[in-house]
Amino acid sequence: MAGCKPFSVDLSADQSKLPHYVPPPCQVACPIGTDVGSYVGLIWSGDTEGALEAITATNPMSAICGRVCDAPCEPACRRAAADGPVAIRALKRWVMEALGPTYLPKPVVPDKDKSVAIVGAGPAGLTAAQDIALSGYHVELYEALPKPGGMTVWGIPDFRLPASVVEEDIARILKRCPGITLHTSATLGEAVTLDELTAKHHAVLLAIGAPAGKKLGIPGDASASVIDGVSFLNRINGGDRPILPKHVVIVGGGDVAMDACRTARRLPGVEKVTVLYRRGEKEIPARQHEIEAALAESIEIIYQVAPIAIATEGENRLTLTCRKTELGAPGADGRRSFGTVAGSDFTIVAGLVIAAVGQKTVSAELAKHGLLENDRIVTDAATMKTRHDKVFAAGDAAFGSSTIVQAMHQGHKAAYYVLAAIEGNQHPVPYRTPYRTRAAALAQDPQWELLAPVKPKFLGLSGFNDTEANYNNKTAKEQAARCYRCDTETGSVDYSVKTREAIFSLARMDSTPTDIARLTRERLAMRSYSSGDPTPTLDELVFLPANLTRLVIDPYREACKTVTDFSNGLKTAHPVIAGGFDTAPVEIREALADALAASGGAYLGRTPPATPNVPWLQILNAGQPAEPSAAAVILRANVTGAAGVPHTATKEQLRGLIVTAQNADDVVPFAVDHGVDLIVLDGTGHLGEDWPDLAGAPDISLLPRTVAILRKLNAEEAVKLIWFGGLRSGSDLAKVMALGSTAGIVNVAAAIAAGGAITPDGMMFDAPERKTSADRVAAYVKAVVAECSMMARCTGKTNVHNLEPEDLRTTSIRAARATGIVMAGMKHVA
Amino acid sequence: MVTIDLAVTPVREANETMRAAAARGEDIEIANPDARHHIGVGLIAPVRVKVKGSAGYFCAGLSHGADFEVDSNVGWGVGDSMYAGSVVVGGNAGAIAGVALRGGEVVVKGNIGSRAGQVMKSGTLLCCGNASFLAGYMMYGGRLIILGDSGERVGEDMSGGEVFVGGKVANLGADAKFADITDQDLDEINAFLQKYDIVFTGNFKKIVSAGTKLHYGATEPITRPQPHTVFSAEGVYWNPKVTEDIAVKSQIGRYRIRGYGAAKAVPHFTDIALKLDPNRIGAGDPLKSVNLAMVLGNRFGAKPLNLSMPVLIAPMSYGALSKSTKIALGRASRLSGIVENTGEGGMLPEERAEAAQLIFQCLSGRLGWNIHDMLRADALEIYISQGAKPGLGGQLMAKKVTKELAAIRGIPAGIDLRSPSRHPDILGADDLVIKVEELREATGYTKPISIKMGAGRVRDDIKIAYKDGFDFVQLDGLQGSTGAASTEVLENVGIPTLAAIQEALDGLNDIGHKGDMPIVLMGGIKDGVDAVKALALGASAVAMGTAALIAGGCISCMQCHVGNCVTGIATQDPEHEARYKLDRQALAIHRFLEAVRWQIAALTAALGHSDFRQLSRDDLVALTPEAAAITGLPYDPDYRGVAGEFHTKVA
Repeated sequence: MAGCKPFSVDLSADQSKLPHYVPPPCQVACPIGTDVGSYVGLIWSGDTEGALEAITATNPMSAICGRVCDAPCEPACRRAAADGPVAIRALKRWVMEALGPTYLPKPVVPDKDKSVAIVGAGPAGLTAAQDIALSGYHVELYEALPKPGGMTVWGIPDFRLPASVVEEDIARILKRCPGITLHTSATLGEAVTLDELTAKHHAVLLAIGAPAGKKLGIPGDASASVIDGVSFLNRINGGDRPILPKHVVIVGGGDVAMDACRTARRLPGVEKVTVLYRRGEKEIPARQHEIEAALAESIEIIYQVAPIAIATEGENRLTLTCRKTELGAPGADGRRSFGTVAGSDFTIVAGLVIAAVGQKTVSAELAKHGLLENDRIVTDAATMKTRHDKVFAAGDAAFGSSTIVQAMHQGHKAAYYVLAAIEGNQHPVPYRTPYRTRAAALAQDPQWELLAPVKPKFLGLSGFNDTEANYNNKTAKEQAARCYRCDTETGSVDYSVKTREAIFSLARMDSTPTDIARLTRERLAMRSYSSGDPTPTLDELVFLPANLTRLVIDPYREACKTVTDFSNGLKTAHPVIAGGFDTAPVEIREALADALAASGGAYLGRTPPATPNVPWLQILNAGQPAEPSAAAVILRANVTGAAGVPHTATKEQLRGLIVTAQNADDVVPFAVDHGVDLIVLDGTGHLGEDWPDLAGAPDISLLPRTVAILRKLNAEEAVKLIWFGGLRSGSDLAKVMALGSTAGIVNVAAAIAAGGAITPDGMMFDAPERKTSADRVAAYVKAVVAECSMMARCTGKTNVHNLEPEDLRTTSIRAARATGIVMAGMKHVA
Repeated sequence: MVTIDLAVTPVREANETMRAAAARGEDIEIANPDARHHIGVGLIAPVRVKVKGSAGYFCAGLSHGADFEVDSNVGWGVGDSMYAGSVVVGGNAGAIAGVALRGGEVVVKGNIGSRAGQVMKSGTLLCCGNASFLAGYMMYGGRLIILGDSGERVGEDMSGGEVFVGGKVANLGADAKFADITDQDLDEINAFLQKYDIVFTGNFKKIVSAGTKLHYGATEPITRPQPHTVFSAEGVYWNPKVTEDIAVKSQIGRYRIRGYGAAKAVPHFTDIALKLDPNRIGAGDPLKSVNLAMVLGNRFGAKPLNLSMPVLIAPMSYGALSKSTKIALGRASRLSGIVENTGEGGMLPEERAEAAQLIFQCLSGRLGWNIHDMLRADALEIYISQGAKPGLGGQLMAKKVTKELAAIRGIPAGIDLRSPSRHPDILGADDLVIKVEELREATGYTKPISIKMGAGRVRDDIKIAYKDGFDFVQLDGLQGSTGAASTEVLENVGIPTLAAIQEALDGLNDIGHKGDMPIVLMGGIKDGVDAVKALALGASAVAMGTAALIAGGCISCMQCHVGNCVTGIATQDPEHEARYKLDRQALAIHRFLEAVRWQIAALTAALGHSDFRQLSRDDLVALTPEAAAITGLPYDPDYRGVAGEFHTKVA
């Protein structure tokens, strides 16, 4: 498994290592740049370990996030606008449950002398601790509470996040990072002072969170029956199960409010839980997922209402006076302002009010050092530094309330600046979230466009047990198949991901003229261009369709002749010859022969086809006798060196020579002189050996060169040319026919059709089976012939043998030079 | 009764007089027709027209509701695309009688030429004498009755409808078969014959589609495309894309199909640089300082299209695209002051309502082609071919040929539609002249008429287009996309867009008409940057299809042909179409077009011009030897550095 270091130190480098990579919207939306596309792709392909690596690489709290991440990736998912986002969080849970508990990355033992103190073992502190420890430094981690985990332990109820899940993540961090020494129940200012830490360590990072709940700030809020949400959650998460009054009211609309209301709903004595939120349903900050769960648990949510006073009327009885609100225009923070509606007061009678209206940081020690202001540690977001030169800060204590994943982002960022500082880098490249990709393969799921989003099953209200089920394996795979995979390159050079994303950006609602100017400048860049390899391929030839200057032949339905005449009575139904299967398994040789017999094609090889009813073009080495069963005998002039003529075994046998780029100048005139019937042009130089096509792109210049020699000798009609090398499709075949061949030989392509796989040792066939392979080869040959005749008809021809060089154009100078075919757009060969 | 003497009145004037008379409900008599073409085309009122003699090509073509009576013979294409009404021909009819008939009745008392009823969709065509070869060729519906003998290959490649032959059948065409005749058939035929006072006592043979070619055999497995990097790098000959292609073909026994255009790298606009200082892009207010407006289509006095910038929406059909997408494109084109195009398969009323200016395409299968939508259109376009699959007709897989769609097109629902590759009445350049004339006659010479052409022998094709009298050419290169085509054709047939524009300009120059016929270039034009390069090379305007779809949410998965489009764009499945948020995407496309406008203006300004027409080849250099060779622009690889400075940095 690849190393899990979250970023390379050089953030100015492209972290994806792919020149064409554009991070997908989910990855950009994730504060820690999770490689979502890869892990979802790996889930589909069954590589759960790979998925786990991708998840945990930047996320030390992966199991926790699988349960309770607010998943900003999901609203960013492009499929959200279609039929619902990919279930990114739930898929993470599935991976973590499958492998998380047993997963232990290789421990990284500290190898450096310097050390860092981190105060606070919540998401920010733990993330930073891991990053710093993985860089080889010692970390002393101080936690005020008896257990590490911060708000994940004390702020989130068990029915959403069981303690074991938190423990799993923390255990992994600590096992992986033996350089971290954890001190629990070690409050800053009590167990250790800031001065001690700054004296002892090279840097100090404060990540102490904001664990103190704010008061409602209305008359009567000092009542013992008015408590704050964080304290309430802390108490219950600590294991307490108090009997509460019948009616509990929660004030607030954030995550704490949702956790508090659902927690209260589970406690004995409670019959009704009401949530009051001052803005509307559209404005509520809690996740939709949580709101739906609350509603499913029969919790009442009242929108646009603000409490204005509380009157305590005895133990467990208070009257809450509320006023309706009306919403105004969005303010500077993007949230809509609200005002109260005069005369709309009403009262709610309840036994307990839980205020979930925000948190603050409290630390006498930090106050003493003048590091606090407005309940926060004064921190420069550009450097993560506090007013103390050696002291950095991150998390809620520095920047206010945030989500787990935002806190982890701050942890990564703080670690980056801490590491820069202790390594003496005064001016590090500004931190940015690194976007890496594991370039996982696309899910080849035929249902990917059809599969509907499936939410994890809601298990209902059952004490403090899990409320959400994990996916089963089948659902996980199906949900993974839904991913668009915006991270993968498209199948088109022309409409690449970069192009697509540039168009998306131009169409964005929030694109400004400055953005469009930037996008325009970026589009002035040329794409990569290579003129290095001088060998063109058949892909650099195109056919000219009939339009106005030639009568259009309907390629869908009008007939096109394919009968191929090799002269002297040897005729085949079509111009496809299969060849070079001498060392293939017998089942494959039989299958090939069956397919050729059925379609009316010929076979070329050293040994005869497996069944006698296929015309055989026998390849001979010098001195080797011709078999009487062969329809033609083809001598390997390339091996013998000196040109010779094959001796035939029968009068009817055609005589041919194999010609390569090396010997064409000599052998072609020789063949004409000696009245040879066939010239097999070998563009690979390996015909006669095993799987000669694996040599790769053939030298297509051999064909026009040969035609030129024949033309010079005035012998174009005297000999038939058969092409070998690199034929993949009917288009390839049509091209070599347009260039002057009478037929073409397929080798590797036919072997792939038969079920073979390319390996370093040649073509390999796994469990070959005659009938299946015969059907497949027959289908492939049929497709090739159909494609070839489609090309002919596109150019206005009704016989594939009427294809001619004039039907072709080249799209590169090297192809134009190799073939003598004019480049499209030009009048002459450049 | 109005009498028009064609010995003294030109056909154009005669047709205007006929329309005026028909509007008043007056019957018409044509004296001395002398086999003139286009008599009564585009007549859409229920009047009687008596032709005292012989009529030429397309008599009663594109009419609706009128009853024609021709004393003697007619030339080819009698009743072309007629919707309702009747034509009775006293003598013989030439080839393609009743071509693309969409309704009504054509009765020929004598013999008829070849390909009678080609691509007809409804109505009845009766031949009282003998019919020549290929009667009922590629018919989609309706009834063809031949009382005499029929020539060879009757009913070849018909996909619907019925052919009845009273005499001998020389032989059946491909995919046609004999069927049992029913009493109902006979009752209907006899009623029809009686209506026209025709007596027939022989026995009929009935011929219908054998249906073997209406669907592809094995279904192609759905695969998402391999990233282009597996095949676009050098030295990866037997790459995973190649092996996948072979493996799939060995399962299905035919070519593969996908959406989008050529996927491989060919010389393109990215190989050309603009000679400008990138820092000047956006200086001042380019939208105010640069003139982008133009008119298109006024070479022959038609009412031209008014474009707020030299950009059009490329033709894309309702069929390939969902109705919502067509509506969004129409709306975006209106909001941006440009022109939309119906593509193949007819005009959607909703699309017409949204698009302020709409080009209506006429294709070989005449799917959805009719006089009423021609009159509603702002321009007409004859499709010869397209860049994605030049030489072939449109292709729409059965999943997308829904009942509603089939009704608009006039074809059977649920077939794997492969439109004819050749127009029934355009076998060469001369036919095309007459076809253009027919369309002009039918619409009173008020509509610009363009030609849509895939790029092949452009240098020669453009000369024919010029001589055939088109208002402008829509030229589509190899990179042009489609909703479905053979992958082999997509990659291997046609020339790159860059080569296409160069050949078109050279061709017009060869005949001394450079600049005389506007060329709208398309095929891989992605934004204003490409547009400016195309305009500087000599295109009059550009058209964008794929780029507009991407702006509206297309994710380039190239699976348009499957019909399950995940974004609701290329689908006819209501559940999938519901994923497309029309209002939102229309605005996204509109914003994209406005960004394109800004780009064209800003780049034109940065090049020192105040009107896009001032852009010229002097503003360009070639970055690759290929681009230099094709365009003749100076090869200046030093500009790579300038361009490279702005190479996109990830995040």
